[in-house]
Parts: sequence; structure tokens; C-alpha cells
Amino acid sequence: MLEQELAFYEQNLENWLHQYADKFVLVKGEEMVGVYDTNEQALTAGASLFGLESYLIRRIEKVTEEIRLPALTLGLLYANPSHAIASPRTIA
Amino acid sequence: MPILHTQLPAQEQSPDGKSSAVSPAVVLKERGPIVQVMVGIEQNIAQQLLAKGLSLPEPVAGVALIDTGATSTCIDVGIAQKLNLPVVDVVSVVSASHADTKQNVYPALIEVVGIAIKFNAFRAIGVPLAAQGIDVLIGRDLLQHCTIFYNGIVGSFTLSI
Repeated sequence: MLEQELAFYEQNLENWLHQYADKFVLVKGEEMVGVYDTNEQALTAGASLFGLESYLIRRIEKVTEEIRLPALTLGLLYANPSHAIASPRTIA
Repeated sequence: MPILHTQLPAQEQSPDGKSSAVSPAVVLKERGPIVQVMVGIEQNIAQQLLAKGLSLPEPVAGVALIDTGATSTCIDVGIAQKLNLPVVDVVSVVSASHADTKQNVYPALIEVVGIAIKFNAFRAIGVPLAAQGIDVLIGRDLLQHCTIFYNGIVGSFTLSI
């Protein structure tokens, strides 16, 4: 998903860092659609132009965002339950 | 300022099929701070779709776990697909135990049921959660706008925004 957009972002990142650091870029295919001050503005523009199609919105920054979800990735969301209680879906 | 105060009741079943109440403190310890939520299309996108005369998919009901260990909010990938949410990025999820995985990012609206708490999650990570009985992980990207008080002694927690 978004292979074209991500490759285009990587190709252009160095240039964009000089001009648009910390702004949000909207990319569709191999085209930079626009640069925005906030994620919200970029989303609004993306939805206006492309509806529910996919497009890339990313902050222009040197450091890649690092996502850490330790409980999920280590399988510890519900580790070691000592009581068999009702599923949260059935809790009144 | 909307304030959600929750104490979860639950029943446990013995091997012979008899039910008995479980103390809220035990429930909170085992299930964690969970809230009922509705997941829908992010508000800015919804407004644009409505302006084009398009209809919006019905929000999906689910259970959210408040996860202070998670840097980012996550939604079950099945819900993202059901809502036909657009993919707006692909990110690497870092793991200590195995290779990083690539996951899609979706813009979503997460509303806490029964109280006026709405989160515009611009960058919710799509991950398989449903098998674990939850649909949303509320991570620190949204919790940075909240206060949360966890009272493990009486088995309650309070969330406000």
C-alpha cells in the first residue's frame, strides 16, 4: 500500500527538508499535491480531492516516526489472567 | 470538561456453571481500563464527503483499552476496512521480540459512548486486535490531551479531556 507515494517521499525528502521542514506533505502517486501547516489541513485537502481513496500524508522531518506498542507486540495485552471473567463485550 | 468515571462490574463462572460477582478491583486489574467506543470516519474527512453528497458509513461499536505503554492509538484493521477508511501512511511498528512490521495508518474518529469525549485520531495504526477482545488501543498520542486517574484499590478509573 502507498508504495509509489512512499518512494516519491523518500526521493524528495532531502529537498523538502530545506523548504518545508516540519510541515505536512500530501502526496498522491508521484505528485506532491500540497504542503500544509497541520495534519488536519492536509487531511481535509486529501478528502476533498480524493474522497476515500488512499494518499500519503506525512510530516516532513529527518527522523522517522517510531511506533512502540509493547503490550500488543509482546502479546501481553491480557497476560496471565488468574480469573476467568466475562468478556468485556458482555459486561453490562 | 467531560469526565468519565468507570467501575466495571463482571461475573465469573465456576466449573459447575454457577455465576458469582467479581470485585471491580479484580476486573480492572485483569481487563485494564476499558471503555465502550464508537469508531467512525475522521471528522474533517466526513465533512468533505458530506459536502460531495456522499453518505457516511455507520460508526462501528467496540471496546477500547487505554494503553499508556503505546505511543500511538490503534484500531482493529477489520474495523478500518469495514469503514472503508483511506490509508494515509504506512509505518514501522517496533518490537523488542521480533522484526518490525509495516502497518497502515488510518484517520478515524473515536467517540467514548455515553459522554462527550471525541478523539480525532488523525493517525490511528491498523493492527489485528479483535482476536484479543478489544477493538481500539488508546495510546499516548491521544492521552496527551487527557487526564487519567487509575484507582486500582477500588477498581475504578477516571478519564477527562
